[in-house]
Amino acid sequence: MSVQDPRFDLYRRAAAPALAPLWRRMVHSIWSIEHAFERARADARPEEDTRVRISLVFLLFSAVFVLLAAGATWAALFRGEVPRFSGGAAALARGDLTDRNGQLLAANIPHYAVYIDPTEVWDRDHAMREIRRALPRIPAERLARVLQGDRRLIVATGLTPTERRRLHALGLGGLSFEPEDRRVYPLGSSAAHLIGFADTGGRGVAGAELAFDDAVRAAGASGGSVPLSIDLRVQGVVEAELRQAVEDSQAEAGVAMVVDASTGEVLGMASYPTFDPAHRDRASAGATLNRAVSAHYEMGSVFKSFVVAAGLETGAADVNTLFDASDPLMIGRRRIADFHAQNRVMTLEEVFLHSSNIGTSRLAIDMGPEVMRDFYDRFGLLRAAPIELKESAAPVLPRNWSDSTLASLSFGYAIMITPAQMAAATAALVNGGIYRPLSLRRGGAGVEGRRVLSERTSATMRDLMRANVLRGSGARADAPGLRVGGKTGSANKLVDGRYDPAQAIGTFAGVFPADGAADARRYVVFVLIDEPGSFPRTGGFVAAPAVGRIADRIAPFVQVERRFDPAPVAVAEAQP
Amino acid sequence: MTAFASALGSGLKRVFDLKVRGIRVVEIVGVVLVAVLVLSVYVAKAAAARQSASIAALEREIAETDARVRLLRAEAARLESPARLEALSRQAGLAPADAAQVVPEARLPELAEPAPVVVLPEGEVTR
Repeated sequence: MSVQDPRFDLYRRAAAPALAPLWRRMVHSIWSIEHAFERARADARPEEDTRVRISLVFLLFSAVFVLLAAGATWAALFRGEVPRFSGGAAALARGDLTDRNGQLLAANIPHYAVYIDPTEVWDRDHAMREIRRALPRIPAERLARVLQGDRRLIVATGLTPTERRRLHALGLGGLSFEPEDRRVYPLGSSAAHLIGFADTGGRGVAGAELAFDDAVRAAGASGGSVPLSIDLRVQGVVEAELRQAVEDSQAEAGVAMVVDASTGEVLGMASYPTFDPAHRDRASAGATLNRAVSAHYEMGSVFKSFVVAAGLETGAADVNTLFDASDPLMIGRRRIADFHAQNRVMTLEEVFLHSSNIGTSRLAIDMGPEVMRDFYDRFGLLRAAPIELKESAAPVLPRNWSDSTLASLSFGYAIMITPAQMAAATAALVNGGIYRPLSLRRGGAGVEGRRVLSERTSATMRDLMRANVLRGSGARADAPGLRVGGKTGSANKLVDGRYDPAQAIGTFAGVFPADGAADARRYVVFVLIDEPGSFPRTGGFVAAPAVGRIADRIAPFVQVERRFDPAPVAVAEAQP
Repeated sequence: MTAFASALGSGLKRVFDLKVRGIRVVEIVGVVLVAVLVLSVYVAKAAAARQSASIAALEREIAETDARVRLLRAEAARLESPARLEALSRQAGLAPADAAQVVPEARLPELAEPAPVVVLPEGEVTR
């Protein structure tokens, strides 16, 4: 039979109507190839056609191999680096938190969980004894339960590499370790409120860990770190001096902050009592509360700075304006007297230096509720402190702005604010008059800030604050050559609807250096002592000394040069 | 041209037909080439496996060193904690430097003690 056999044509004819044209062409092609040799032999050209077939097969294989070679070459040269060898830092759940100089505040350190498979333990009593001896912190009950069981179970987590080595060195069968990433806070209770903490799932829960959660997680993925604004040296001083001040005054609690007045960066923030983030469950009641941003206080006379500044800014008064403080001020049936009564007519400067409630009440009532509300709002006293910490609490504000309330507001009652609000407002008062948000970011919040006072008023306020330390109630805040200025504050706490003189607040809002140009670098130091037990309980005695000591000790770290004052000059004389 | 092609064709055919003990030389050469290729692939793969193992070991070592560095950094941070250093300093009887103990660089000459006066045997005085 040959390909010319009419049966093939018959087959073609029979199949054609049943098949679609495409199938027909395919069948025809395959048939044609399959019978090519027979056709060639029939045509008396078998040798020639065999060569053609060999050549075709050769060409086909060559094409396949060329394609494979080209693919391999492309993959090797142009497909980019195959990520087999990392060589860099391994990705972590959270990056490091550091201070502004790169000192470590929080880090993820590899720890281990230990498992025991009791079926592989030869002598369970021996294993129990040895493991307890090597690592006493493993609970005996848990260990015994796992060893008496019949399957592999976890015994303890959070083993340090040293602890793991100690267990491994026992050479016991059935022990295995699995790595786990764990957050550690190497400074213990230092800066604990500010740093905050993260949960075991790697999410920030409080403090900077929560405020910068996304940035910290991104830094962990890239092996980087997140620098905060605090300077660990400043933080150490702030904590030590706050603790000292609280102990000296037998107080219940305290807060201290250092803020760069030019940028709003927080260099140090301490809240006492404190706690160890590794043992939060053992913290005393209220110890985990960051009082710097979450606690409200009626702070007393530190508010007089803002009333005086408002009076100067609006032109309602100048430093020589006279206020009659010879008798207590009566508002309705309410009697307002001075703590350090002078019983005479005083200039505004003297009102500030003697912290006269009568004088500032008269000024506040003169200016009226709109001006007072406007200026308290400008200084951020009517809303939560703008800072990255989520714990920043809103103030407690007066329900009305009557004359009596204005008088109370002028000497720091009827409004409860957080220390962070006070620090930010004081910074605006002394930095040339620009209100900037506080920031825990190195370099500040990165916003322009808004003008709340003229440079001239700000300069006068700095002079008044310096005079208050030289000749007024803030004398104990002075530090040699650092030109500290500030304002004291003292207030009784509201207990069961009555102000209790036995439960007081002593504060001091300071600045150093108080002299120099409006844009000179200067630092706000704020200290609050809650419920001092010693007497007198006023800010000038319980808080001002701590401010002076903090300024004295941090001056070298913040590069403030000591320069001794010329002979004291009254601010009123110094004013043109 | 045709003559050249014809000569080339017959030359190739002679080479193709060249035999040793009944086996074409071309086939022997092909088998040898394939053997060499197989051997080289084996050697290259063995070397690559060795390199991979070495890279994996280095990566493990880097990871362990990195973990150790992190641990040591944390330990250094704990040891250098300001609170701890201050407590230790106070135990050792140290205290923060007093302002009077610090002078700017420009005032250093004022603090320099005068050099001791030395009288030489000949009666000459020097400082």
